[in-house]
Amino acid sequence: MDSKLISLKEAISTYVQNGDLIGIGGLSFWRKPICVCREIIRQAKKDLSICTFVGGIDVDMLVGGACVSEVRSSFVGMEVFGNASNYRKGVEQGKIKVREESEASIALGLKCSYLKVPFMPLKGIIGTDYPKVRDDIKQFEDPLGSGTQLMALPKIDLDVAIVHVNYADEYGNANIEGAVWLDDDMGKTAKKTIITSEKIVDTEDIIKLPRRAQIPMQSVKAVVEVPFGAHPTSCFPTYTFDPLHIQTYMKTSFPEYKEKYISINNQKDYMEAVGGSEIIQKISLPEVIG
Amino acid sequence: MTEEYTTDELLTVLMSREVKNDDIMIVGVATPMVWAAFTLAKLTHAPDAIFHYIMGNSFVYEPRQVTLLYLEMNLHRAYKFQNSGECTLECLPSDTLTTIEFFRPAQIDQYGNTNNICIGDYYKPKIRLPGCAGIADFSMFYSRGQFLYTPRHDTRTFVPSEKLFFVSGVGFQNGKISICGGAGPQCMITNLAYLNFDDETKRITVSTVHPGVNIEDVKASTGFELLVSKNLTETIPPSLKEIRLLREKVDPLGIRKLEVLSGKERMVFLNEIIEKELAMKDKLPQLLNSDL
Repeated sequence: MDSKLISLKEAISTYVQNGDLIGIGGLSFWRKPICVCREIIRQAKKDLSICTFVGGIDVDMLVGGACVSEVRSSFVGMEVFGNASNYRKGVEQGKIKVREESEASIALGLKCSYLKVPFMPLKGIIGTDYPKVRDDIKQFEDPLGSGTQLMALPKIDLDVAIVHVNYADEYGNANIEGAVWLDDDMGKTAKKTIITSEKIVDTEDIIKLPRRAQIPMQSVKAVVEVPFGAHPTSCFPTYTFDPLHIQTYMKTSFPEYKEKYISINNQKDYMEAVGGSEIIQKISLPEVIG
Repeated sequence: MTEEYTTDELLTVLMSREVKNDDIMIVGVATPMVWAAFTLAKLTHAPDAIFHYIMGNSFVYEPRQVTLLYLEMNLHRAYKFQNSGECTLECLPSDTLTTIEFFRPAQIDQYGNTNNICIGDYYKPKIRLPGCAGIADFSMFYSRGQFLYTPRHDTRTFVPSEKLFFVSGVGFQNGKISICGGAGPQCMITNLAYLNFDDETKRITVSTVHPGVNIEDVKASTGFELLVSKNLTETIPPSLKEIRLLREKVDPLGIRKLEVLSGKERMVFLNEIIEKELAMKDKLPQLLNSDL
């Protein structure tokens, strides 16, 4: 088999098209593929639909970079730091559309993709205003006769999944050490999956890791080694999120932020720009046993 | 004897008292006050309760100090990491599993329906809120019902049904329990009072007012006609032990306060917390016990 190791630039220019439905892994400030978000902005991709379980700086940045026309997420915010202001303004000014999602609607939508079924039923959402703003969901009665009311939630077929992981081999077998969230479902069901990894390891190493490859190679198109690729979000157990840089992001106008941090197309230079070894030491997590 | 306490401490203590020993306590995103409340409950009356962290999608038994930056370190002894697909399908309440989750609504009506989506018309919102995460999925069928809180009891939060801009959490719609079979909203804990829901009308009702608060002020801070319990009493304030555990063990940095503070005060306090946590030598948050 041929190696799938390529540059970040090539991965995005080859596999991300304008208008694609892109699934982004991670959750909130935790293990988001932010290096890929920066590359998408550098390449000025347009009209993307962004689907992510819980969005934060990833979604906000892409909206700021004018890459997004639609957001599908159960929550987009900056946690205790405040609002995702590009996202918020974008919605308030009608520049981007929201397809209102919940946690289950995304989780089950991806399950549909596995099972090749048009919808999955949920015993939730009933009684909310979701059906008023989503014409693609529908309440129905259990066809098997229990009388239970259910909500049908549609399939989500991602064009591209972007996931940042701890370890991957050159073929795209990818291992995640901490929480997985929807990343394995996204990685396995997308038409094209792009893996960025803290470290590229041998296939033999993947086999020895606990939980091995949560994302197996078959759907992966590109593998890119990007140390600190999740910065300023976390990548457990190596580093936590960078609260100082998140504050910098929130305090800086987007054009200025873009010029200072996003335009840097080399990860080493980017890490220097955000504080170099000093910040790396600050956000590094200690090794814990047991 | 009770010590002086602050609003965030009162709310945290009142929330902790809702936890039962066999509950699974669901810690959501960006809710340090709820996390502190659950941790306090484990150190006081609910030692066997189990954390379920949405942020880690994992179950954790041990209570550790509340942290902003090192949450994932608190999860390193999780006995199961899982993806959210499984979580959504597995962790639903069953007859043998009770969960407790606190939701913080931006708006709530007299029947406990809640909104975390938008202020103003959905398609042209004055304010787009972050979203409701899993509230829309679960609010209507937790067997123990849903638990609500807000540190902002005012007429912007408490609104009549017609001014609730979006129903993203289901209460007692038209005074009726959801067809999905959950117990419905159980309580609303605010900076002014403890409210619950009237058995017959299912309307939100003041059960106790906090020490120093006048019931007329509670009514004036509510945007609909507020029912008052016939047995209205004063809220039992935090005990010395609860306050000390909270301050000295559960959350000595006061991270919970970020949910209460606003504006510049909040930014200054956030900076302080970040500075203290980044300077920590031991980044594994303290394992807690109830010894004082």
